[in-house]
Amino acid sequence: MAGEGQVISCHTLDAWDDHLHKGNKSKKLMVVDFTASWCGPCRFIAPFVAELAKRLPSVTFLKVDVDELELVAKNWAVDAMPTFVFLKEGKLVDKVVGAKRDELQQTIAKHTT
Amino acid sequence: MAGFEGFEKRLELNFSGDDPAAVAEGQDLGLRRLSFESLEKVLRAVQCTVVSAVANHYFDAYVLSESSLFVYPTKIIIKTCGTTQLLKSIRPLLSYAAEMGLILCGCRYTRGSFIFPNSQPYPHTSFRDEVNYLESKLPNTLIYRKATVMDSTDSDHHQWHVFTASDGTHFMSDEFYTVEVCMTELDPVLAGKFFRRLNCKYSGDIDGKEMTEITGIGDIIPNAIICDYGFDPCGYSMNGVDVDRYSTIHVTPEEGFSYASFEMVGPGFDGLGEVLKKVAKVFRPGTLSVATTSAGREVWTRVKSALEPTGLKCRSVAADEFPAVGSVVFQTFTTRRN
Repeated sequence: MAGEGQVISCHTLDAWDDHLHKGNKSKKLMVVDFTASWCGPCRFIAPFVAELAKRLPSVTFLKVDVDELELVAKNWAVDAMPTFVFLKEGKLVDKVVGAKRDELQQTIAKHTT
Repeated sequence: MAGFEGFEKRLELNFSGDDPAAVAEGQDLGLRRLSFESLEKVLRAVQCTVVSAVANHYFDAYVLSESSLFVYPTKIIIKTCGTTQLLKSIRPLLSYAAEMGLILCGCRYTRGSFIFPNSQPYPHTSFRDEVNYLESKLPNTLIYRKATVMDSTDSDHHQWHVFTASDGTHFMSDEFYTVEVCMTELDPVLAGKFFRRLNCKYSGDIDGKEMTEITGIGDIIPNAIICDYGFDPCGYSMNGVDVDRYSTIHVTPEEGFSYASFEMVGPGFDGLGEVLKKVAKVFRPGTLSVATTSAGREVWTRVKSALEPTGLKCRSVAADEFPAVGSVVFQTFTTRRN
């Protein structure tokens, strides 16, 4: 299946809507990583997120650049980076603000058991 | 046998770019363009690593294995404890900055008095060694230099060491001030909250989050986005991000050499007095020192009136002026029983 084991980057509003729609229909947990190209902390945690995506094919990982998709970032009230938004069947179930490895891992575990 | 050294060394470097207007408008990221690999190389020279981090439109904030790092477009602040060789970060930083067209225009180095001074490696073996090292690493364009040891009359004879260097082009804005608080002899029960719980499956930032909540640290600056970390078996670090201002707390809770630091850039939403009252309440230290650095504001006058009602008595006040930086006022407090 396309995108499994990888972090999918959404560059357009259409792509975002598309993935959101797909995610809502499936019962999979969706983790959206709001990043910025100029954000050092995002670069710090990027390898860890990629590793998680590889290890957890049952979770969908999306990546959104807050400058590219400014409206989406605003809608999700993202004011610090990275912000990880957790969605399940269209609903916001959790949020992790900051490059925090343990908290990210624990929150995923919390919503996949 | 020496315990862990909580007292930090703090280094602040100010840069100017080719196009100061672009930086001022927030269009040029300056130092924030530094790759994470380069940043890691700098931290390796200092012997510490990134543990957690967060960023906003103004700056990047990193919690390190031994304290904190803040990267603004034209300013970098590194604060490290233990036996880290903080000053070894200067050469790689200046080199990377130069590659990006950034020129050093100011430097400020501060620290308190080490609990275990004999455990410090060169160049932190003495303030004289530190100043000599700084002098040798800074460019000749920084012609206005000053090194001072500010004294106190408390029983521990805690001193505040300040070194500043400037090329005379960059002046600290009188809009902001920095407050550096050092506390020792922490209340043992309160310090106990910074130990990892036994049989705890949690680690790092989860435990840090709980420590932030149960100690009341989260309420010190309520609007701040917090990045926290609980170390194994004990110890705590946090960075608070509040628009363009940071705050940072580091705790070494072990009895015998307990230590906690609080630093912030103000003004914040609450007055300085209110913030300091909350800090004193979290740790209830036996001794506390406050160093305020400001270009214009008389912030230091609020410190004594805020802290004395908490049971801390002011023992000494020392002040000095530093070129392009402003005034540094160093006040020491101890509880009445001391």
